[in-house]
Amino acid sequence: MAGREPRLTPSPFRYARPGSLHEAVALLHDPHGDTRILAGGQSLIPQLAQRLVRPRLVLDINHIAGLDHIEPCDGHIRMGALVRQEQARVSSLVRTEIPGLSQALDWVASPVIRERGTVVGNLVANAPGTELPAVAMALGARFVVHDSAGERRVDAADVLGLGRRLAPEALVTHVLWPRNPGCGGFYEVARRLGAAPVVGAMVSVGSAGCQVGLCGVAAVGLACPTVADTIHRRFPAAPEAAEIDRLLARDLSEDRSGPAFGTALVGAEYRRRVAPVVIQRAIARAVAGAGGA
Amino acid sequence: MEASQEEWLPLSMTVDHRLVRSWVRPRHLLSDVLREHAGATSVHIGCGQGVCGACTVVVDGVPARACLMLAVQAEGCRIQTVASLAELEGGPVRPDGLTRLQTAFRQHHALQCGFCTPGLLVSTAVFLSRHDAPTRAAIVDHLNGHLCRCTGYANIIAAIESLAT
Repeated sequence: MAGREPRLTPSPFRYARPGSLHEAVALLHDPHGDTRILAGGQSLIPQLAQRLVRPRLVLDINHIAGLDHIEPCDGHIRMGALVRQEQARVSSLVRTEIPGLSQALDWVASPVIRERGTVVGNLVANAPGTELPAVAMALGARFVVHDSAGERRVDAADVLGLGRRLAPEALVTHVLWPRNPGCGGFYEVARRLGAAPVVGAMVSVGSAGCQVGLCGVAAVGLACPTVADTIHRRFPAAPEAAEIDRLLARDLSEDRSGPAFGTALVGAEYRRRVAPVVIQRAIARAVAGAGGA
Repeated sequence: MEASQEEWLPLSMTVDHRLVRSWVRPRHLLSDVLREHAGATSVHIGCGQGVCGACTVVVDGVPARACLMLAVQAEGCRIQTVASLAELEGGPVRPDGLTRLQTAFRQHHALQCGFCTPGLLVSTAVFLSRHDAPTRAAIVDHLNGHLCRCTGYANIIAAIESLAT
């Protein structure tokens, strides 16, 4: 059926559908650069449609075999770049070994978006204030990156932190999560269900200690080791909000969190004030997950 | 890159069991191609950013926003729109031609202007096929990806709850 030509919302680009990692990396090594990776597309395609990005090449990695697994690997849980958020959310391996991530995924986007959107894509997009980058930084996740020089590993915190970014010619093929069997909780306040969080917090307590990740207080995700130490000592009791507030001040430094983060709708002052309470509620959820009351 | 240098790529997919072959530019979105090349005008384009859910279709058995896929990604895929609703529900069509879900929506006044309805029916059919007896909280969570500006959601929740037994 021939109709009118469909609307043209993105600007023009070439499209490649490599069938292997080798082929994908070769295409990334384009002297003109400006290539975007398409996995789930749930972050990229809105940016293309609004012409916020205008790549020359869109590299669709969906046909590369072997990137859709979640599996134990050398003390880590290895998650390929094509693992969908919903797949990770319902995975029993993730629930047992990375409980903080498992809990956070309940809060990411909406169900249909989670069916296609990938965990790695959400992390690499690193949209300000979103859940998963904070979770990855706090849990000490690492990326497996492929570029023309071969394979290397980088800490998520080194790529997702303030002023950091991934080299444009690099392809993240996996994310490695340290195994941390135990319990985890996530809580966030948002302006409506499914909207980006105003402030969100993850608390994970397991064999690898306690980690706290915080989003929405800075433009980037934050790991909060000082808050985490105190939570770990008292768990399952939760510190008072005022005490969390004092500890949090030590975890927020200009070089890690940057200037106070606020938007036109929700200012920096409210975000900072509500954060200790959000952390308390994440602790309560972790306690519930541990079978306590 | 100049528009005049753009390549056109062949696309072959099935839409509601009909084979659709066409040529598309890489930047054509699946939502627009379904409307213009496959005649699937039930695929409504609301926000074009994946927020409103009006363009939701089922791609190889999994619900997806048609506006968040490039048309070229649908190569070889099996697309189901609301025209495949009976099949998605897996239940009989009543003598009046309506499915169980359509009947519940009508009985509970779960639509007014109808713009959000095709996407909502498609993803709700898949939702109910996966959850026999969803709680009200699960239904509300499911609706979080669908904007309806007419009903205030109360009637949609009531319609879905009436089938959740």
